[in-house]
Amino acid sequence: MNNGEFSIPIIHNSISIMTPFLLAGIGGLMTELAGMLNIALEGLILIGAFFSVVFAASTGSLFLGILLGILMTMFFAYIFGAITLYLKANVFITGLATNLLAGGFTTVLAFYLFGTKGVLLFEGLPALPILRIPALHGIPVIGDILFGHNILVYLGWLIVVLAWVLIYKTPFGYRLRGTGSNPDALAAAGLKPRNYQMAGILISGFTCGLAGAVLTLNLGAYVPNISSGRGWIALVVIYLGGKTPFGILGAAFVFGLAESLSNYAQGFLNIPADFILAFPYIITVTAMVIMSIVKYKAAK
Amino acid sequence: MKINRTSTTFVSLAGLGITLLIAFITMFIMILIMSDTPKDTMYYFLAGPFTNKYYFGNMLNAAIPLMLTGLGISFAFRASMFNLGGEGQVYIGGLAAASVCLALPDLTGIIGIPLSLAAAISAGAAVAGLSGYFKFKWRTDELISSFLISNALIFIVDNIITGVLQDPESSLLTSHKIAEQYWFLKIFPPSNLDISIVFIVLLAFLAYFYLFKTHQGYEMRICGLNSEFARYGGLDVRKYFLLPMVLSGGFHGLAGGVTVMGTQHMLFKGFSGGMGWNGIAVALIAKNNPIGVIPAALFFAYLEAGAKSAMINADITIEIASVVQAVVFYLITAQAIYSFVQRRRRTA
Repeated sequence: MNNGEFSIPIIHNSISIMTPFLLAGIGGLMTELAGMLNIALEGLILIGAFFSVVFAASTGSLFLGILLGILMTMFFAYIFGAITLYLKANVFITGLATNLLAGGFTTVLAFYLFGTKGVLLFEGLPALPILRIPALHGIPVIGDILFGHNILVYLGWLIVVLAWVLIYKTPFGYRLRGTGSNPDALAAAGLKPRNYQMAGILISGFTCGLAGAVLTLNLGAYVPNISSGRGWIALVVIYLGGKTPFGILGAAFVFGLAESLSNYAQGFLNIPADFILAFPYIITVTAMVIMSIVKYKAAK
Repeated sequence: MKINRTSTTFVSLAGLGITLLIAFITMFIMILIMSDTPKDTMYYFLAGPFTNKYYFGNMLNAAIPLMLTGLGISFAFRASMFNLGGEGQVYIGGLAAASVCLALPDLTGIIGIPLSLAAAISAGAAVAGLSGYFKFKWRTDELISSFLISNALIFIVDNIITGVLQDPESSLLTSHKIAEQYWFLKIFPPSNLDISIVFIVLLAFLAYFYLFKTHQGYEMRICGLNSEFARYGGLDVRKYFLLPMVLSGGFHGLAGGVTVMGTQHMLFKGFSGGMGWNGIAVALIAKNNPIGVIPAALFFAYLEAGAKSAMINADITIEIASVVQAVVFYLITAQAIYSFVQRRRRTA
């Protein structure tokens, strides 16, 4: 039996499934390095998902849809950041508030604009362009796995590289990390930790907006609560990835593979859909507990 | 400088007032923009819950699970433990209670009701306790683990309700009805309000007594305030990773059980949606004070009832309530608001 015939499509799919985890993870990494646990990722993805598809449909342009969707997400990220940093609220509670607001506001707005709280189907929306490089596509196995995805997948990879450069090779990245590890030293140098935290939050708005756009523009529709826990999984991806951009790339792939495998298993194992939906959470929590056991044992 | 108790109470109440005011202004603006009949919509939102006995009683009834989840969160927060799994804990509590009721349809109420409530409490406590245990054993972050476990459970309970327990006669996603001896006594017909509200208000006072007047409650609060100090003082800090989570989950499970046996008399798919999150908001408004949870839960039930009345009678959708709740969430811990009140008071 040729195993390649089964495994190649599974890995191929996991690469497109992992993109939202990857993007939200990179954004969350920025605030994590600045010393803030960003619970708002989930809500920000939802905002990005809603506005990017609505703007894409109303302007007829994918580019404008993505751009305006990202701007809206950054706006909501700014509200989250401003209340947390300038009004000195608890970042965990304001994160929950952002998730609650995202769910409520998108539904209220969908009902006001389209008269429904259900799925919004946008017909005639252009599909995301797929990157095809025929010469490279011919490479066995790797060609099939790495090519033929939509351009946002590759943009995600580019963002990983950019994030690495930003974090490790620029003064900004150095100070961002300093905000989390040693805010007093930063303040002593005459810099404001708050500014770097806000920058981290805005970057997470940018990447979560894009993560949301990936979800809805791939589908050509908006489904209520389409983020369905991806922001939370992204938080675990950050930890699992050792808080580095390339680590996050690897961890996101693991989650993409898990989801792709469970989608595939559904096809012939006849597992109820509810269990498939529960699966990512079960793996995530298992991974978390194992990580903490390893860490605990190492510290002993 | 003398700091007296009444002045700190004044500052926190005034801060709360400002927060609620901003939340209501946000709602008015949204209604003005989105409703074709803003005047009617606002009337139904604000006054709707008081227009008849049915609406009013149902509003009080809706506060019951919120009081319980609010109490559950207060316990966890007092010990600085974050229980984000309330949604799943309420849901599985409902499942446990309904399972007992459905499995033993001929049991008398006197034995059956305590038994099914005990099942609800144990189920919630076990689920939250698991996160507490991970923290106790390996320092696993309970905030994320409780959320993830709860989310996985929600799908599994969904599956049990629509699979094993599904009533084939019903067109809804629901179990069979539970036997009548399990139903709680209605005290305000025609509304759904039942007798459990009396016990739950008592329970809130009991919880207050436990937290503030017993030795264990004191230790739990000390561990929450400053775990280094508590450790230095010789307390078993790790014990207070586990205990508050178990208690918190127990309250959540009970909320599920009470909703099934008091209000719905069957198990609906997704019946607990929002109860866990709202419990967090209720606890925050109450500043984690068990007695404060009572008015805070009533306020939240009022918001939901108002939104429901506006949805039925006017042209907005009920999710407007979650936008208002989000504004409350955003501002409730904002220290800048409280220091603003304090400054004004000093200059006054």
